[in-house]
Amino acid sequence: MLVIFEGTSQVETTVRAVLADILGLSADRVATFTADTPLFGALPELDSMAVASVLTELEDRLGILIEDDEIDGEMLETFGALVQFAAGKALV
Amino acid sequence: MTGLRFDTYDWNGGREAMLRFGPESGPIVIAALPLFEEANRTRQFTCTILRALADHGIGSILPDVPGSGESVVATIDAKLSDQRRAYRALKQRLGTRSYALSIRSGALLDTDADLAGRWHLAPQTGCDLLRDLERTRAAAGKSDRGDEYAGNRLSPEMLAELRDAVPREDGGRYRVVRLDTDPRAADATYAGAPLWRRSEPGNDIALAQQLAADISHWIASCEG
Repeated sequence: MLVIFEGTSQVETTVRAVLADILGLSADRVATFTADTPLFGALPELDSMAVASVLTELEDRLGILIEDDEIDGEMLETFGALVQFAAGKALV
Repeated sequence: MTGLRFDTYDWNGGREAMLRFGPESGPIVIAALPLFEEANRTRQFTCTILRALADHGIGSILPDVPGSGESVVATIDAKLSDQRRAYRALKQRLGTRSYALSIRSGALLDTDADLAGRWHLAPQTGCDLLRDLERTRAAAGKSDRGDEYAGNRLSPEMLAELRDAVPREDGGRYRVVRLDTDPRAADATYAGAPLWRRSEPGNDIALAQQLAADISHWIASCEG
């Protein structure tokens, strides 16, 4: 299981909120997401258009910049992977 | 005469449709939807704000600009300079107590009009809009499909005009409002989800009412 690092709780909260807001998921549903929860391919709401919106919203809320060549399937595979990617950008 | 009415306005490139809400006397709000896909996601929400403004006794207009909504101008022929010119022509027939209510990249449309004030919700620069369009296009795997961006065909002229386009903050009163999740500077923030990024169009009646109250107070302070 992926470990969601110390100090990333703010980032994790933001990622959860962005998934709820952009995909129109309930707060209760995103609250059940763990590091292992699969995202891309598992959430029908998360189509390729929505991926672009999620990443752009994360950029705005976290004040980070995601280069297009950094975007790959791995970072969107699980909730933990997305938090880890965002934290790596936000906490440097 | 405060219900929803359909009307038109003329600019030197043709005629466009517009919706009118609320009274036709007193201060008037001109709403500008974001460009392209975000317009579809915010139209219903914007109409809810405008209906709430009518409840505050403030009339408003939601115009199509050339290349948007019901316009006979095709999206591929749309130019930002024409859209700004049409907006300006609409303003000129409305008088001095006109205020912009511009959402996201809609803030790029009110720049050339002589307005008493501008109220912007989460305004977006042309540069940021282009970045969004490029990313959406890349995500859809269509980066080599010429002029199509998220279902809209855009001309090189439009893309070039957007590159340097920024919202205008001077010339009359200015107020910028953002969602409380947006860390950028704002005169006020409100809780809510960014409907303009939702894949499925949605509405937020509570937020629309709060924003209408904000606009109503702001206009009163501008005129007081």
